[in-house]
Amino acid sequence: MAAVSRSALSKSLSRLRPASNTLVNLYFVLWFCLVIIPLLVLFSFSFFETKSFVTTYTPTLNTWLSLLDSGRLTVSLRTLRIALTVTLIEFLIAFPFALWLAKGGVAKSTQAIILALLTIPFFLDLSSRIIIWRSILSENGLISHLLVESGLTSGPVDWLLYNEWAVHFGMLVTYFPTMVLPIYMAISIIDDALIQASADLGASRKDTLLRIIVPLSLPGILAGVILTLGPALAAWIEPSMLGGGFVNLLSNSVESAYSALRYPVVAALSSFVMLMLAILVVALAILARRFGSLGAVFSTLRS
Amino acid sequence: MKDKFSTTTQLGLTRRGFLQSTAVAAGAAVLGTSFAETAQAAASNVVRGYGVTTSQLKDWSIMQKSTGVSMEFTGTNNSVGVFLRDVVASQLGDDADIFVFESGTEDVLGPQGIYLKIDEKHPELTLWDRTPDEWKRSETVVDKEGVQYGVPVIGNADSFGYYPDKMDAASDGNDELSWSLMFDDEKTRGRVAYDQTWTYSIGVAALYLMGLGKIGVKDVADMTGEEAAKVVNFLIERKKAGQFRTLHTAFEEQIQLLSSGTVDVINCWEPAVRETNKSLGSDKTRYAYTKEGYFKWGHGAYIAAQAEGRGNLDNIYKVLNYYLGGEYRAIQARDRGYAGPNMDLGVQYAKENGWSAEEIENLSNTEKKVARKFAKPYTSTTTPTNSDAIEEEWQRFLNA
Repeated sequence: MAAVSRSALSKSLSRLRPASNTLVNLYFVLWFCLVIIPLLVLFSFSFFETKSFVTTYTPTLNTWLSLLDSGRLTVSLRTLRIALTVTLIEFLIAFPFALWLAKGGVAKSTQAIILALLTIPFFLDLSSRIIIWRSILSENGLISHLLVESGLTSGPVDWLLYNEWAVHFGMLVTYFPTMVLPIYMAISIIDDALIQASADLGASRKDTLLRIIVPLSLPGILAGVILTLGPALAAWIEPSMLGGGFVNLLSNSVESAYSALRYPVVAALSSFVMLMLAILVVALAILARRFGSLGAVFSTLRS
Repeated sequence: MKDKFSTTTQLGLTRRGFLQSTAVAAGAAVLGTSFAETAQAAASNVVRGYGVTTSQLKDWSIMQKSTGVSMEFTGTNNSVGVFLRDVVASQLGDDADIFVFESGTEDVLGPQGIYLKIDEKHPELTLWDRTPDEWKRSETVVDKEGVQYGVPVIGNADSFGYYPDKMDAASDGNDELSWSLMFDDEKTRGRVAYDQTWTYSIGVAALYLMGLGKIGVKDVADMTGEEAAKVVNFLIERKKAGQFRTLHTAFEEQIQLLSSGTVDVINCWEPAVRETNKSLGSDKTRYAYTKEGYFKWGHGAYIAAQAEGRGNLDNIYKVLNYYLGGEYRAIQARDRGYAGPNMDLGVQYAKENGWSAEEIENLSNTEKKVARKFAKPYTSTTTPTNSDAIEEEWQRFLNA
């Protein structure tokens, strides 16, 4: 009976195949038109120049060369450094938290409350959330006040705000949910029996973590990394409001170029970041292969 | 007048609202001639505006009562890049009748034929002849060749807010202070907030250096790359010396920095000082009169070229004329502290409409203040021809 139904299934699948091939091809054509062509246009724009709000369409390397002179290339590298640092620290904080939340025997009601709390920030405007930190971190703010009152410092503390530290901090607070939630999802669907079996077979806690939980939660980790790294590369509210203009990141630089309608500069900066991102994704994929093929990891989600 | 995060620019109709209203109008046009005719008749007393919200009345129905014309205004932010893109690439003139923006766009869009030349003899523009040249021929409304593309709406001379007691300055705020308090004074070191937008900030630094005789700049509003480089070199040196506590970007930030006492000096909009005094007590902070000069700005109202064919020009000119009149002037000065052409008409309006003596006094003071400040340089533009070079130099300052 099972054999009959299986052959029927494969027949209907094979009937579907030409149609699905067309669909896949159509998808690729669309993807090419909607994603690749705009990227190529963007890239080619970086070889033009803007003078007095008018872009002249004569090929030139001036825009790329000017990136070096104005320190904009440094901005790109700084952005990349900060985004990667934030993503890494975020992962180190979020993974244990997600593990505890999913498998730490937390009561269902507590879980629900914590998950709800994690989603609240999505409903609040980011700049309103960040500006509050200024009144907490500033030298007239809460923390400085507490430090002075408790006699731990002799005067107001002014290094909590308007520097890279503050920007890192603001971004860590902002992107915590985007890192935690996907990892939590991935860990929570791991079958408890697998973890139990690992322990029964004599694996240490560390072995179970590294050889069972981490590989199985890899889709969530990857999603978390991408959902955090992407926005972190584009962050501009945290650097503007907590960096106090001393931490110039890519988006601020793009915004400034845009104020003079310098599309070629914007294009060059974006192309550069795309390149960096492409390198990162490849590196990430290679890293992920250490834990087995990515496809196999995703297939566990289907079971 | 650059503001990226500000929620104050969110007043009025949203862009979506604007598009919906135009979609409704477009839908009406499709529905058939008779209906379209009705719609057109109904819409004939509507003028559609697009631009910065600073020029908005909180309640446009006041204008409708006075002129019979109603306004549908869609706000944009203060970024000239966004504005030029919207107007040129999105062909906003297909829907909007007038554009209101800070000075400079007429130099780019006027000669391109995107703005209509102002018909100074238009019968609805009754207040044009009595409007003083310092407003109507200002660089904010004529292009570089002197062609009249706009009607002046509001303006002010921006300087910095400060705590008089901490600067040893007269508490009435009448002292003429040097921009050295902003850039170069030992007692303000680390107690200054400087706007990080180049269009707003680089000019006043140049004025200060020119006052010292350290540099010569031909046109502060449109510095060359080399001139900007000199100013930026100075600013980088000051930044490294710890002169600036922070570089700010938004109106709300200005208020927060000043009112929390995080800084003692900040180059900001005048309303930020007003807001601060509202929370700290009147006259606690002051908006400076300066020795070297000001960031003088003005908003102009410009007619979209496409409006010429829509048969609505009479109403459009009624609105332009309204901008020059006493009612608009008095309300803008009271609500925002901004001046504009024909303040005498504003005072007259206030008297006729039973405003308090104090409010009338404030209107006169606004006029006096602006006259005193406008005597000094420089008139800003959002579209310097060397913007690319200046912006490039400014990046060096931000990255230093």
